[in-house]
Amino acid sequence: MPEQQIPHKNQPVVIIGAGHSGVAVATGLRTKGWQGRILLLDAEKETPYERPPLSKELLKAGAPNESTPLRKEKFFQDKGIERVGGLTVESIDRPGKTVLLSDGSRHAYHRLVIATGSRARALTVPGADLPGVLALRTKDDALELKRVLLPGARVAIIGAGYIGLEVAAAAAARGCEVTVLEFQDRVMSRVTSAPVSRFFENVHEQKGVRFVFGAAVTAIEGTDWAEHVVTADGARFPADVVLTGIGVIPNQEIAEAAGLHCKDGIFVDDDGRTSDPEIYATGDVTRFTSRIDGQSQRLECIQNAMSQADSVAAHITGQPTSDPEIPWFWTVQHGVRLQTAGVRHPDDDVVVRGTPSEGKFSVVYLRNGRLSAVDTVGGLSDFRPAKKLIAQAAAIDPALAADPSISLTDAALQPSL
Amino acid sequence: MSNNNKVTVVDREGATHNLEWEPDQTLMEALRDNDLPVLASCGGTASCATCHVFLEKDVFENLSERSEDELELLVEAEGYQECGSRLSCQVDFSRNLDGVTVTLAPEG
Ligand SMILES: Cc1cc2nc3c(=O)[nH]c(=O)nc-3n(C[C@H](O)[C@H](O)[C@H](O)COP(=O)(O)OP(=O)(O)OC[C@H]3O[C@@H](n4cnc5c(N)ncnc54)[C@H](O)[C@@H]3O)c2cc1C
Ligand code: FES
Repeated sequence: MPEQQIPHKNQPVVIIGAGHSGVAVATGLRTKGWQGRILLLDAEKETPYERPPLSKELLKAGAPNESTPLRKEKFFQDKGIERVGGLTVESIDRPGKTVLLSDGSRHAYHRLVIATGSRARALTVPGADLPGVLALRTKDDALELKRVLLPGARVAIIGAGYIGLEVAAAAAARGCEVTVLEFQDRVMSRVTSAPVSRFFENVHEQKGVRFVFGAAVTAIEGTDWAEHVVTADGARFPADVVLTGIGVIPNQEIAEAAGLHCKDGIFVDDDGRTSDPEIYATGDVTRFTSRIDGQSQRLECIQNAMSQADSVAAHITGQPTSDPEIPWFWTVQHGVRLQTAGVRHPDDDVVVRGTPSEGKFSVVYLRNGRLSAVDTVGGLSDFRPAKKLIAQAAAIDPALAADPSISLTDAALQPSL
Repeated sequence: MSNNNKVTVVDREGATHNLEWEPDQTLMEALRDNDLPVLASCGGTASCATCHVFLEKDVFENLSERSEDELELLVEAEGYQECGSRLSCQVDFSRNLDGVTVTLAPEG
């Protein structure tokens, strides 16, 4: 759109949070022609950085203690994006259209974007606040963890989700003795099917990681440092390091206090607008209705953080939004990549494509005969075709889909929609 | 004196852009940081394929081999060229690449 036509383009936009989503809103606004002040406020002091490497590359022995910056400092300067790090936004004054920072300063906004992300869910058992009990969300967390993942250290990981398993892999590679305690009966049960769980359990076990399923952690014992993790059945697991990876909760408190509609996430519409039309929210902190299946959901992934940011920047500048990318996620454990496209439901039909014992296979999820999600393990050839077919809600022939010599696209029943 | 490479980029509408590729950037970063529409959602880890570009054959042939992940993502990409398709996040700065022309691949 010609810049002259962008409404209010000289007004200030304030963005709270300079993670994946906040930075994408800031850059998106400039690319789309916004000329007003862009103030990017972040609790973390340093240049915004990539989060996925924190539990992957950064933890490797000998790897630099750095995570790739989302953008170089100079980029923010060149684009006239004012980044203020090391201060938190304490409250939002909606009638006055200002935000209050922890240093007492106030900043006026024309449009406000809340991109505060999420934080690690805290374990609430006795002893959970002992030193040596860590979580992983920020670069500081990752560096702290890296310092204690020493060869021979006994590492207990509570929760077999992506983060717990990525840390388990890194710790095992560094010569730690790793035990993963998980309440469910398999790894990654929230996000994937049993065949994929079993495959990854096997990969981890081959590298010496021990799993304890059905484990309900009731306490962490220790005097001035964590020493044991205790489970409901009375078992005690010695640990020099305890890492909790039991999910995240949205950083929605300032939104809630400002009266925005929230419930386990700030509610937003397809344009990223909250219940106040002058305030947007984007990324991990949001809850929204899926355009694919009408479910209310939160998504904690880069794809969602970037795609919502794009919608927000487009809406603020009065431009049409592009179709959102199909949600997708990746994880790498012991060098084996799992990449998921779409959002699986636990009651979807499961079609295994290929032979897991060969280390490379996919799992196709069908909902009422249509492709809803795909997991690819150890290879990526099904990933892009899957994203396309999911976007079309393509009907799939399960027998053809089970045959890896037939491309996924050819397993789609014509016409697909 | 600049150590930067000069790059000519042909976008998806066929328009050309001249940009400077700085030594500490991958090709993807040079494109993205100069406002070209590469989403690069995976941050440069050969996971998303939204940074797909075409290089000229002689340039392509002098680069190191594509990894298996890169190749699998590219083969299924729109307009895939056996002797030209690269994920730009996997192309590191090199003086030999001064003056190259990079064409953005179609999205999807
Ligand atoms: C270790 C780790 C590995 C991950 N791996 C992957 C992966 O492989 N693939 C994937 O898709 N996703 C991955 N994720 C998830 C992904 O990082 C998130 O989905 C994404 O960062 C969400 O972006 P966001 O902008 O919403 O939040 P964030 O990136 O978390 O940014 C939020 C920012 O807001 C700041 N903030 C919060 N409250 C305030 C306040 N009141 N005032 C000022 N600033 C505030 C925070 O300090 C933070 O800097 C990973 C996450 C972690 C922690
Ligand atoms: S940026 Fe994702 S593959 Fe290059």
